[in-house]
Amino acid sequence: MKIVVCVKQVPDTWAEKKLDASKTLDRVSVDNILNEMDEFALEEALQMIAAHSGTVTVLSMGPDSATEAIRKALSMGADGAIHIVDDALKGSCAAVTSLVLAKALERIGDYDLVISGSEASDARTSVVPAMLAERLGIPQVTFVNKVEVDPAAKTLKANRITDDGYQVVEASLPAMISAVEKMNEPRYPSFKGIMAAKKKPVETLSIADLGLEADAVGLSGSWTKVNDSADRPPRSAGTIVEDEGNGGAALVDFLASKKFV
Amino acid sequence: MNETSSIVALPLVESDEERAIRDAVRTCALRYGHDRFIDAARRGESPTELWDSLAAGGYLGVNIPEAYGGGGLGLRELCMVSEELAAAGCPLLLLLVSPAIAGTILTRHGSPIQRERWLPGIGAGTSKIVFAITEADAGSNTHRIATTARRDGEDWVLNGAKTFISGVNEADAVLVVARSGASAPGAPGQLSLFLVDAGAPGLQRTVIPTALDAPELQFTLFFDNVRVPGDRLVGAEGDGLRIGFDGLNPERLIAASICTGTGRYALERACTYARERQVWSAPIGSHQGIAHPLAEAKMALELARHTMQRAAALHDAGLPAGEACNMAKFAAAEAGMKCVDQAIQTHGGNGIALEYGLTSLWWTVRLMAIAPVSREMILNYVAEHSLGLPRSY
Ligand SMILES: Cc1cc2nc3c(=O)[nH]c(=O)nc-3n(C[C@@H](O)[C@H](O)[C@H](O)COP(=O)(O)OP(=O)(O)OC[C@H]3O[C@@H](n4cnc5c(N)ncnc54)[C@H](O)[C@@H]3O)c2cc1C
Ligand SMILES: Cc1cc2nc3c(=O)[nH]c(=O)nc-3n(C[C@H](O)[C@H](O)[C@H](O)COP(=O)(O)OP(=O)(O)OC[C@H]3O[C@@H](n4cnc5c(N)ncnc54)[C@H](O)[C@@H]3O)c2cc1C
Repeated sequence: MKIVVCVKQVPDTWAEKKLDASKTLDRVSVDNILNEMDEFALEEALQMIAAHSGTVTVLSMGPDSATEAIRKALSMGADGAIHIVDDALKGSCAAVTSLVLAKALERIGDYDLVISGSEASDARTSVVPAMLAERLGIPQVTFVNKVEVDPAAKTLKANRITDDGYQVVEASLPAMISAVEKMNEPRYPSFKGIMAAKKKPVETLSIADLGLEADAVGLSGSWTKVNDSADRPPRSAGTIVEDEGNGGAALVDFLASKKFV
Repeated sequence: MNETSSIVALPLVESDEERAIRDAVRTCALRYGHDRFIDAARRGESPTELWDSLAAGGYLGVNIPEAYGGGGLGLRELCMVSEELAAAGCPLLLLLVSPAIAGTILTRHGSPIQRERWLPGIGAGTSKIVFAITEADAGSNTHRIATTARRDGEDWVLNGAKTFISGVNEADAVLVVARSGASAPGAPGQLSLFLVDAGAPGLQRTVIPTALDAPELQFTLFFDNVRVPGDRLVGAEGDGLRIGFDGLNPERLIAASICTGTGRYALERACTYARERQVWSAPIGSHQGIAHPLAEAKMALELARHTMQRAAALHDAGLPAGEACNMAKFAAAEAGMKCVDQAIQTHGGNGIALEYGLTSLWWTVRLMAIAPVSREMILNYVAEHSLGLPRSY
């Protein structure tokens, strides 16, 4: 099987996120990591090729510094990577991101499965996987927490998480799935994996390599843009429910008032 | 100067691989977690799952030669592994004896058969070798070791007792320092090293209860006519002290890394707490009485880490590293104690509450001012060897 895993480098989950002068996320002054959700996607891919043989290629669009996230994916066991890096890409919206990733996948060509995370922890739109599948014209199964592939029959069967439970969905390959958290337990890189990562092939592509013009991507090509933003208001003091024998009822009242129950 | 000065460089910035090693070990240890680690220790159980996942990742034998399945790197990297474990609240004292002491001694002095037999297991973390030198009546004075090894045909027969030997319950073998010559106790140059099976007939052990919240238990060992095959002698007969010294620098380095890691753990907790806890009009971290001691502890910690890295570089280059390793252990133990002590102080009453996970590591750093070599014996060493002052004992 030939599996492509989309990975994004994001600011460390705990880092305070700020916008820079161009109203895009400041990725320079923070620690960046491999988007945690993408580790689940990668782990799933690695388990699949362990069971069915094949290769895992990592695909990432991001600045130079994204090599760190790519190298982490390689040290976990991916065979090679494609890194799309181009100054023109800064500020790309989800639609443009999916366009660029789709061009790269078309270039790869003979993939059987594309796996992504179901959400990047910085922008959190969760729409890139769906847009990408749409552009590629392949079946999409998003928010997957369990999947089985049958490479011979060229099909997959997945559990897709919904608000009320899950759906069991079948699709033909090639297909796109997005992984939810807790789908598996991502391995941490082994010592040998780390030492081998630098020797694995990383192909760097510009937008020209993908046949895209600069004004089709980045801030200029984006369908949406950020006009203004405000810092999140400080957390207000919580409500303290005193238990005077009626604690349970008071809690339910509180939750009901917030429409949680 | 000499040629080596250009070869041995101490990188001031860690490589991508080194940062990835730290990151992976940290992830692994955090997944296991300090609370679970301490719970296991208090129940007298080993953190097997943590050990096994580190072993599976190849992290326990980073300093073992590649020819024996290890990582082929050095103490610099083993210190990183050990420091990250401690920084995540899971210090492993066994690293100090098995890969550090036994791994180094066997790599440098083991026979080809001994290396084949033991190094792959140490490198993979599947076998553990502990180290027994201390005796009740000898203490810091190794020359007074009275456990004897007597030749009997092809074999050796060991008699005597050792004390404070860590981790014997988990070990496959014990590397024992014994007096093999006939000369009177006190005469140097008569010690030899033996690899004794932990379950050898005639070898008995009793636990020494200690204040440590560590998974490695301490034992008194009794050798009652323990028969050891001749091929278990490591290095030449009578060469035990010299060979043993090769294991002592790695031991001091790992002791240091346990302290620097624990120091990082403690400072991280202290600062998180000091930023949030507020009893007057501002967080306690803004009071200089809290901030300055933490800043001092941080500086002591970074100085110790640097000293340790330098000592590891010298050791890995095969250069004399005794002075550097002793200084590193001394500095790290002092810094580690300072960090944990100040973290406890910063937490006020909570510093003593078990829930805050600070008292659980106090004895680990406190221990390192006593073992593997005491603070005073390092001061003696530096006074005598670095400063040329006369010896008092
Ligand atoms: C402050 C801010 C403002 C923004 N404003 C807008 C806006 O106005 N309109 C708009 O459309 N978008 C906006 N974005 C989103 C945008 O630029 C996204 O970062 C980008 O489009 C990817 O979407 P996502 O991060 O939400 O990915 P998600 O859809 O949440 O990611 C799901 C998965 O897709 C894959 N993936 C996502 N990005 C990449 C990548 N670069 N390379 C490889 N795989 C990837 C990963 O597997 C990931 O787990 C904004 C982002 C920020 C931080
Ligand atoms: C938890 C734990 C684990 C251990 N694990 C091991 C192990 O795995 N293997 C092993 O072989 N040993 C082990 N040890 C033993 C350890 O190495 C010794 O405790 C240490 O070397 C000190 O020896 P001692 O306890 O006999 O102290 P002593 O030698 O009795 O010293 C007592 C005090 O006197 C001071 N002192 C002694 N001589 C002098 C001098 N000349 N000048 C100034 N001060 C002096 C010492 O510094 C110390 O403060 C362990 C000890 C502990 C507590």
